[in-house]
Amino acid sequence: MAGICCGVVGEGDTPAPLEPTTRPSRRRSLDILPLKYIADMAVPPSDGSRKRPKLDLRDRDNVVQNCDESTGHKVVKKEAKVEIHDNISETKNVTVADASEVEDSPKFGVTSVCGRRRDMEDSVSVRPSFTQGFHYFGVFDGHGCSHVATMCKERLHEIVNEEIDSARENLEWKLTMENGFARMDDEVNRRSQSNQTFTCRCELQTPHCDAVGSTAVVAIVTPDKLVVSNCGDSRAVLCRKGVAIPLSSDHKPDRPDELLRVQSKGGRVIYWDGPRVLGVLAMSRAIGDNYLKPYVISEPEVTVTERTEEDECLILASDGLWDVVSNETACGVVRMCLKAQKPPSPPGSPGSDVAADGSDRACSDASILLTKLALARHSSDNVSVVVVDLRRDQRQSSNSN
Amino acid sequence: MLCKQNLETPTIKAMLNTYHASKLPSNQCGSSLVQTIDAPLPLVWSLIRRFEYPQGYKLFVKKCTLLDGNGGIGSVREVMVTSGLPAGVSVERLDKLDDDKHVFKFSIIGGDHRLVNYSSTITLHQEEEEYGGKTVAIESYAVDVPAGSTVDDTCSFANTIIACNLRSLAKITEEMVCKANQIKV
Repeated sequence: MAGICCGVVGEGDTPAPLEPTTRPSRRRSLDILPLKYIADMAVPPSDGSRKRPKLDLRDRDNVVQNCDESTGHKVVKKEAKVEIHDNISETKNVTVADASEVEDSPKFGVTSVCGRRRDMEDSVSVRPSFTQGFHYFGVFDGHGCSHVATMCKERLHEIVNEEIDSARENLEWKLTMENGFARMDDEVNRRSQSNQTFTCRCELQTPHCDAVGSTAVVAIVTPDKLVVSNCGDSRAVLCRKGVAIPLSSDHKPDRPDELLRVQSKGGRVIYWDGPRVLGVLAMSRAIGDNYLKPYVISEPEVTVTERTEEDECLILASDGLWDVVSNETACGVVRMCLKAQKPPSPPGSPGSDVAADGSDRACSDASILLTKLALARHSSDNVSVVVVDLRRDQRQSSNSN
Repeated sequence: MLCKQNLETPTIKAMLNTYHASKLPSNQCGSSLVQTIDAPLPLVWSLIRRFEYPQGYKLFVKKCTLLDGNGGIGSVREVMVTSGLPAGVSVERLDKLDDDKHVFKFSIIGGDHRLVNYSSTITLHQEEEEYGGKTVAIESYAVDVPAGSTVDDTCSFANTIIACNLRSLAKITEEMVCKANQIKV
């Protein structure tokens, strides 16, 4: 009880809440709605409201573990653990480097867990204000090993930034993103040819890494557009007025146009534990996987969507989520989490911690809940989820400032 | 289904007839793949013959553990396969290892994958000088056609994996030769 009260008080400190509420009703809504929804979605409900602080503690511990993994010290987990990416340090660095460029970035939440796989091969990249007024979110699901997904996490936003800069006057999103993905693929393949050292274990095992690759689903959020570029079978879904709108289409080898494209290049799609290119790879597009070119290509499909007042959230996730959770269910879960919390309030000033820290409790809760749902439904893969709050009142507040 | 290679030299013909010409039962399929390698035969053989260390040249190997034996005939290894492939583990037995004739034969005896009753024979040959003097690796295999699959699909899958491994073998050994030559200069 005391912990919950402290939490409520903390939230009360947020400057100028748009909708003042009494403490009891706020606490009641926070406690009741998520739990009810959890029960409905067949996720084991937490024992009671007092348990919530513990969840926070576990999450903080897992952040450390995640850091260990990212440095190459892989730990085989006996249990699936939820890890939260905390981007405070990154965004604060941005603030320090160039405060004038920091604009109000959308609230977001990130989880990325090993799940029931032996190894963690997913990566997530969140770059608020990665270039003027644009925000970058990416999910990369590696296969064969983790280093291609890691390279995408570390480099793709930089490459895209360069492409945007060079196209400054005539920004054409499809061409820009296609160039960015092609350069990323070239970089991956050049590296696998040159025997450069990777921090992952495959350096010790396989001298050549032609057979490593990754999906890449990238969303760029601008003041008026959502630009989604997808290569592989991760996915981006927009939740607009309660309706799930896919912004990407999975590159499965048996998708009719992908099947034709592979065949036209002289390849085959063979049903071997599901449809696979040459019976080997369960997706028809990927970054890397040089050994399967020209059948498996790195060209992204790009969608540009105008933002509207009805936009609620954007979800990016790997197939560890989408294989067991439908678009509609995922949107429902996120909407419930967003509603359970008051609308985000405007930041006090551009340099404040609230503004600098793009992560958000409701979005984090949503990404955690989606991850737990995937694991509860026996997803057998790594699960990575990014939830971005697109609600308009945030933008209106930004405009009024 | 042999690839277009020069397989008409007397030595290669004899080896083909001896090691790669088995007749297959009706429920099985098989094929042979050939890779020419511009590297000394002893070097190439040194990578192939290490039953306990297939990742020395093979792709798709995450880890290999000997379950029985010490790498000689009769040894059994457990190969953990990299993610993304339609297999998790493959348990394999070494059936033949001939260091004089350069013959390596293994069978898959378990694991979680769809390759049942799979056996593979790899032989190395030195081309005569008049034909280029290079090393020729030939791998032929036989495997059950799984229920619901076709002969074409099964061979296509197996051929893809074997071709990748043979290309990798060529790449690695040829690079070893390049590095050795650079040291001499």
